[in-house]
Amino acid sequence: MDLVQVQNLCKTYPDAVQGEFRALDNVSFVAKAGEVFGLLGPNGAGKTTALRILATILKPTSGSVRVFNYDVSSQADYVRHSIGFVSNNTAIYDRMSAWEMVEYFGRLYALPDDHLYPRMEKIFRRLQMDDFKECPGAKMSTGMKQKTSIARALIHDPPVLIFDEASLGLDVMVARALQSIVLDLRDQGKCIIYSTHIMREVERLCDRVAIVYKGKVIDSGSLGDLAERHKQDDFEELFFQLLMLDDEDGAEKTPVLSMPPLNGAIAASMGVGPQ
Amino acid sequence: MNWSHVKLIFHREVRDQLRDRRTMFTICILPLLLYPLMGMVMMQVAQFHREQHVTIGIIGYENWPDEFPLITEVKNDKIHWKKLPAEGAMVESFAKSDVLSKPGDSEAPITQPSKLSSAPMVAEKVLRQMESDAIIWVPESFKDSIAQDSLVVLSNQRWERSQLAVQCLQERMNEWHANWLRNHLKATDVGANILEPPKVRQIDASDAEMKRALVWSKILPFVMLVWALTGAFYPAIDLCAGEKERGTLETLLCSPARRREIVWGKLMTVMCFSIGTALLNLASMHTTASIVMSQFAGLGAGDMVAAMGPLPLHSMGWLVLLVIPISAMFSALALAVACLARSTKEGQYYLMPLLLVGMPLVMLPMIPGVVLSPGTSIIPVTGAVLMSRALMDGEYTQALLHLPTVSTVTVLCCLLAVRWAVRQFESESVMFRDVERASMKQWIRNVWRQREDTPTTNEAVLCGLLILVCLFFGRLALGGMSLTWGSIVQSTIVIQLAMILAPALIMATILTRSVRKSLRLNRPDGVELAGAVLLAISLHPTYAAFASMVGAEYKLGEQTIGMLMQFDSIIASTPIWSVLFVLALVPAICEELAFRGFLFAGLLRNGGHVRAILLSSILFGLSHGVLQQTITAATLGLLIGWLAYRTGGVACSIAYHCIHNSLSMLLAAHSSRGSGVPNWLAWALEQNDGRIAYTNAWCTLSVGVSIALIALFATKKSFATSLNQQEAEWRRNSSDMDPNLRFRKNAFLP
Repeated sequence: MDLVQVQNLCKTYPDAVQGEFRALDNVSFVAKAGEVFGLLGPNGAGKTTALRILATILKPTSGSVRVFNYDVSSQADYVRHSIGFVSNNTAIYDRMSAWEMVEYFGRLYALPDDHLYPRMEKIFRRLQMDDFKECPGAKMSTGMKQKTSIARALIHDPPVLIFDEASLGLDVMVARALQSIVLDLRDQGKCIIYSTHIMREVERLCDRVAIVYKGKVIDSGSLGDLAERHKQDDFEELFFQLLMLDDEDGAEKTPVLSMPPLNGAIAASMGVGPQ
Repeated sequence: MNWSHVKLIFHREVRDQLRDRRTMFTICILPLLLYPLMGMVMMQVAQFHREQHVTIGIIGYENWPDEFPLITEVKNDKIHWKKLPAEGAMVESFAKSDVLSKPGDSEAPITQPSKLSSAPMVAEKVLRQMESDAIIWVPESFKDSIAQDSLVVLSNQRWERSQLAVQCLQERMNEWHANWLRNHLKATDVGANILEPPKVRQIDASDAEMKRALVWSKILPFVMLVWALTGAFYPAIDLCAGEKERGTLETLLCSPARRREIVWGKLMTVMCFSIGTALLNLASMHTTASIVMSQFAGLGAGDMVAAMGPLPLHSMGWLVLLVIPISAMFSALALAVACLARSTKEGQYYLMPLLLVGMPLVMLPMIPGVVLSPGTSIIPVTGAVLMSRALMDGEYTQALLHLPTVSTVTVLCCLLAVRWAVRQFESESVMFRDVERASMKQWIRNVWRQREDTPTTNEAVLCGLLILVCLFFGRLALGGMSLTWGSIVQSTIVIQLAMILAPALIMATILTRSVRKSLRLNRPDGVELAGAVLLAISLHPTYAAFASMVGAEYKLGEQTIGMLMQFDSIIASTPIWSVLFVLALVPAICEELAFRGFLFAGLLRNGGHVRAILLSSILFGLSHGVLQQTITAATLGLLIGWLAYRTGGVACSIAYHCIHNSLSMLLAAHSSRGSGVPNWLAWALEQNDGRIAYTNAWCTLSVGVSIALIALFATKKSFATSLNQQEAEWRRNSSDMDPNLRFRKNAFLP
């Protein structure tokens, strides 16, 4: 089941110097239940913008984005109930304990008390958070904060989870714990969108990936497919090659709308030309 | 709107703020400590001031007439007298210098001082040596001829203590002189009573409580405003810019709470703290002031104590009630402004401008003579403050009469501010603003390269403000001229061309691609033009009635009326065609091109026709220097703006404006000339107290005609077609541009 459907998504920002900045340019991908979909790209590629649109924080300029079959523009309230969003931009409150924080969001999701507290107990136990339940956010370590964020995103048991560079700044222990949580959630049948620029994580977690560069999807597919298509087993090398290739192409051609994706199948699904 | 979300957010934010020590200190602890501490310092300063005494040296005290007590013997604890010997080293040096000598008589004895010569350095040195703040010199001859010979007082007016010493000395002298007179009169038949002024017994109709309310009702609203704003501002910055900075805002934005609900939740929190701070400060200040004043009670400051004593309870109640609208308004404003800031540091910069906007609104009611009236009740904040003062004074009918306007204005302002705040929250460019790349050169190049046919909204607003600033300085520069026809022509032409038209024209040339579109120059439609001319004629009686109503509400000053009379007589004695050219046609063209042209074109973007009409008419009103004119012109500007919007250009508005001005000038000139009404116009005009006015019949008829004409403009089809043409043109233009720009263009289509 396609829980996340993104088609021809474009996003432009006004920019004081350039006049306009295209953060996303005809991006399309789908993610299914029970899979980890990797959104891969260097810094500033547009991953965060895409995920913010999925989380209804930003509005798409054009294109269609559906989460759990709800449209992010017209049914934003339903979308927000269907996702859990963890990003390095979604911090936790300094003057609130982990327990209060998760409780607050549970109440915002209108969970009844008899449902909320047992669920909180369960999540805190599973994420091993019972030790710092009462610790205020300002005194938590990065790992504790990240766990609290995940607990906050899981409290309403959403079918879609979005992790935006969630492993940034975590030590090996916590990063490993995060990975096992993600895999655990996948096994429960959740659809997980996982953005990162760390190749090891991709190899360990993702079932399928889309490589995003300068606001465009330059290739996508399962890791095996990509390795076969580009005759490169080392994924980091493959990633690097793709980016280099795109830079060369970009230098020759006009920058806007004319760059066909490498993958023919996706090109067909994207459609070319303005909306 | 889900109120349970609002409640949840409100509870969380309040708890969060209460856990923040800095906020708690500014909001709760500071007011409780500030005023008692200030009171303490004040009392100590007063104590110090009381105990401070000045030293006055006196030379030649033996020369004082024997029959009168020496001034030094008049009891005064402020002055410390120091008798200086007429001989001795210091006085010698004093005498040797020419400080006290006659000109040309350097060897004259010190007993003959006559005049201070120019030797301030020596004088200062002497004062220092004698350790005196002032020195009084009693000459030998003083004993014999009190009235003729003068005492010499040496002081240094650069020193405050010396100033004080001279002041004390003068008081002593007056007292001594009064006693001296009294003693003299006692010896005669007249008696000393003749010196006493007639006794006055004052009867004050107001009771002490009410008088106290008067003083407090002027001070407390001001204190309240400052604290309501401070109390709102710091939490607002923390709740918006602070959350942005800490990254928790995005967490909240992806929760089920909608932006509107988040704003309301935060607004309630901010309001809660704003009200709390204002009330705490009020209570603390009031209590401290009352206590401090009662301390002064025994020190001969009776009036002040009576005025500053504790406020009656019911007055306090009204004041507390006033806190709510003021806090609500400032909370919403502070929240919207705080949203703009990327960081708390940036947020702090916005406090001052906000305070500067709020300050005049609270200062206005403090001006003596400003009371609750239809005019003042429509001014936000001012109206509410005056209303609470009326309530404190017990003028309930007056307050009740203005309750609808004051509450409507207050609620409207609050809602507008909230709407602005919600818009800030919904705007991606505000919420996710990155640090802009600051390259002035590139930015300027970009503005030039991306210029469009019409100005942007920001450019339009900038142009309006530029015109106002130019007018301010222009009027100051032209202010001193005498009123003659020549000076009127000169100032009108300079103001219209250089200060109104020039900014618009220059900006249109530099910042846009098409001067014609920027100034909204259009080829007028014959019917529309005729309609505009007729409307100007038929609406003039209504305008005249409105203007006289405004004049009755806001009385013109004597001087202004005199100027206007002079102005009318000058017009009457000048050929009418030149009057109409200078005072009707030129202003009509210049003002319309600026306000209904450039400004309007910029403000009209993104379907902002309401914004364009409102803002252009407000700026148009403000460009007239006199308040009465500002009101009438702004109101007229609404109609002309609407006309300009419906007809798609400035042609009709120029015609309307020109005819309107011409009618006013013709009426004024004819009235002043004293010539009668021609027969063929008797149906519309009549002579009334020497002035020409519209007949009642025409006034009534004209309203009907105006309504019909307005209906014509409102329903006329040509407008719709012209809009479609514009749109088609836009599309045509945009299709052959590069796709990047086309995208941008499309965003502005209605």
